[in-house]
Amino acid sequence: MTLVKPIKSAAGKIDSIESIRAGFETLGYITNPQIATSIYLAQNLEKPLLVEGPPGVGKTELAIATAKYLGLPLVRLQCYEGLDESKALYEWKYGKQLLYTQILRETLGEVLQGAKGLPESMKRLHQFSDVFFSEQFLEERPLMKAMRAPAGAVLLIDELDKADQEFESFLLELLSEYQISIPEIGTLKATIKPIVFLTSNNTRELSDALKRRCLHLYIPFPDAELERKIIAARVPDVSVKLRNELVAFIQGLRGLDLKKLPAVSETIDWARTLLLLHANTLDAEMVRTTLNVILKFQDDIEAVGAQLTTLTDEALKAAERPSGSL
Amino acid sequence: MDQTLGDFIKALRNADVRVSSTEVVDAHDVVDLVGYTDREMLKNALALVLPKTADEKGIYDYTFDRFFKFDELDEMEMADRNDAAGEASIVPQQDDTAGQQGQGQGEGGGKGCAQRGAEGEGAPDITGAVQQAEIREKLSALSQMVLSGDRAGIAVAMAEAGEAVGLRNIHIFTQKGLYSRRILEHMGLKALNNDITELRKRDSADAHELAERLRKGREYLLSQVRDYVESQFLLHADVDGSHLREDILSKSRLTNIERRDYRMVQEMVRKMAKRLIAIHSRRRKVYDRGALDIRKTMAKNHAYDGVPFDIRWKSVKIDRPKVVAICDVSGSVAKVAHFMLMFLYSLNEVMPKVRSFAFSGRMGEVTDLFRDSDVETAMSKTLAEWGQGSTDYGRSLQDFAELALNDIDSRTTVIILGDARSNYGDPGSEIMKKIHDRAKWVMWLNPEEKNTWNYADSVMRKFQPYCHQVQVCNSLTHLERIVSMVLRSAT
Repeated sequence: MTLVKPIKSAAGKIDSIESIRAGFETLGYITNPQIATSIYLAQNLEKPLLVEGPPGVGKTELAIATAKYLGLPLVRLQCYEGLDESKALYEWKYGKQLLYTQILRETLGEVLQGAKGLPESMKRLHQFSDVFFSEQFLEERPLMKAMRAPAGAVLLIDELDKADQEFESFLLELLSEYQISIPEIGTLKATIKPIVFLTSNNTRELSDALKRRCLHLYIPFPDAELERKIIAARVPDVSVKLRNELVAFIQGLRGLDLKKLPAVSETIDWARTLLLLHANTLDAEMVRTTLNVILKFQDDIEAVGAQLTTLTDEALKAAERPSGSL
Repeated sequence: MDQTLGDFIKALRNADVRVSSTEVVDAHDVVDLVGYTDREMLKNALALVLPKTADEKGIYDYTFDRFFKFDELDEMEMADRNDAAGEASIVPQQDDTAGQQGQGQGEGGGKGCAQRGAEGEGAPDITGAVQQAEIREKLSALSQMVLSGDRAGIAVAMAEAGEAVGLRNIHIFTQKGLYSRRILEHMGLKALNNDITELRKRDSADAHELAERLRKGREYLLSQVRDYVESQFLLHADVDGSHLREDILSKSRLTNIERRDYRMVQEMVRKMAKRLIAIHSRRRKVYDRGALDIRKTMAKNHAYDGVPFDIRWKSVKIDRPKVVAICDVSGSVAKVAHFMLMFLYSLNEVMPKVRSFAFSGRMGEVTDLFRDSDVETAMSKTLAEWGQGSTDYGRSLQDFAELALNDIDSRTTVIILGDARSNYGDPGSEIMKKIHDRAKWVMWLNPEEKNTWNYADSVMRKFQPYCHQVQVCNSLTHLERIVSMVLRSAT
């Protein structure tokens, strides 16, 4: 069966880019104009939003913040190799189905009572309602849950690049029509179109067909000013001085040739670490002992360790220049 | 359809951003939603719809800034004339009452406009300005714009003229002159020329001065139109040229390709490898083991009263091609090797299981190097490390056997690039035999033409029996064909 109801957008809370920025900021998610615009467009054009960028810049957070902002439930689907529709979309309740067939067999006698010959029995059997493949036996998985959420939902399909290419193609119908086809039942349309986020770390190129159907947002590492704001929002207890210094240090690190550059999540962790250690200012020794919070490869730690003093000095100098830029 | 947006998309496509028609429709929706008023917002909004990779975003930013640039004309000499014109138009009004006494000294008008403006009201040659204003009223629209320094007006006229003569259809650089001339004609250059001739004929210093100013203005106009055509050319044309070039490049011999075209070739290899991987993406096989596929089993066993009789399994085996590539980087093939390495690098990017080896005197594995560094470092390091010494196939294959022979199995494709010139040393063909016996496919790519094989120290005939396939490979077209073959055979 098909649920045919007028499709309308989830909430009217998104009417201008400014209100989105302000609203997200109260939730502790600091946006730049691009990100705010993307939310605005995703809502108004009713298109899925594909978010790409290096790990740890807040791709997943964006979806979570959006759900919070709109007061909608967040339905999350984590992708991995081998993910298929029975885990993503729906599954039949096999146990119940088996029970049903057994009950059916027991009642068969009643149904066929008085029927003469095989043709008439078959006719009666056809008249008997067929619920074996019906919604009663349908087990919801994330995609379907999001489609059928009564008030709409925010659907997050996380790390799509980890799933197989086949799964990508499977998503196309959902992304462009907001409907899904279940062979045994038919087409299921979303009651209220969910807001869809897809994230990718770019371990492989996503197909053009998928990209065509989505808005594409690339979140790069934030610039110093934005990062300071993020730290201010996420770790408010850190003093302005230390905040400027640690952000300057991280920004400096991103200019180096490292295996894995520190992302915003690492900056936040580091700020929390320094706060725990009651640091008031950066010094080379402090940085050295906490370096493993921001760098995740031994090679990187060694490479940075060698030039730690200069890097710290530079960061301290850089932090002084834009003092009070908040 | 919105012409401006259409032109912008065309410009993006020229700059190698792929924009499909669905995305064009989206772009229109976006423009409907946000409008043209807020430039920054338009830029952010379109950036979500048109470019779809990080690289394309960069190109998009650049193209957007250039395309939606407000055509600011150079200041140059226009600035002072602007002031002068401004004063000239203000001064006569103020002087209706005060300036009558200066009437007799009209010949002072020969001095520069700016000077006269600086002398302020009540100056003796105000009437000169009045007369000039009268003369100017009779001039053509373009001349008046030039004289009053109306930059915005000129920019608009220029854009309109560009539109009228179809500047966006410009294709090749030789058309630039033609379009410049057409635009000037459309803007009314003829009338301007007439005005100059006319003014010169007059017997008045004012008129001569105006003529001189118009002449300078014309020069300025010419240079502006040239710049405009140039910038539009860069936005709208070029694409045919670059396609033509790619076409020629793909047929030219690798060794002849000049350094400056290097980047472009690199891009081409990348594009090619990507396309090929898209065609030959991973294939799967269903095996008779793994998790029970309840859905299929249920469906299958309906006929048996739901008793699981015919059991179905879920397990899917993902089969990926495994490639081992060996590359000769000695002096004799160095130039082609450079290229082959680059190609291997691209393969490494798109296929998960490529092991690469390089050799001349000895052989070593460069897989990690290829994976961790960018293409140029990887290549130069490989050449520096393994490109020394004279070729020794026997020794190198021995090294290979130690490094990777055990890793070669019935799913492996082995590609060897080399000229098979072993400096009269032992070619090590018995190791080739071992490789051949273990691998699914062995392919030898020789950069030399077939007729030079087996001449002098080339021992191609000793390797040939142990290869499934032997190919000449010295141009991109060869490479392209070969890669397609690898991916097909390696499934």
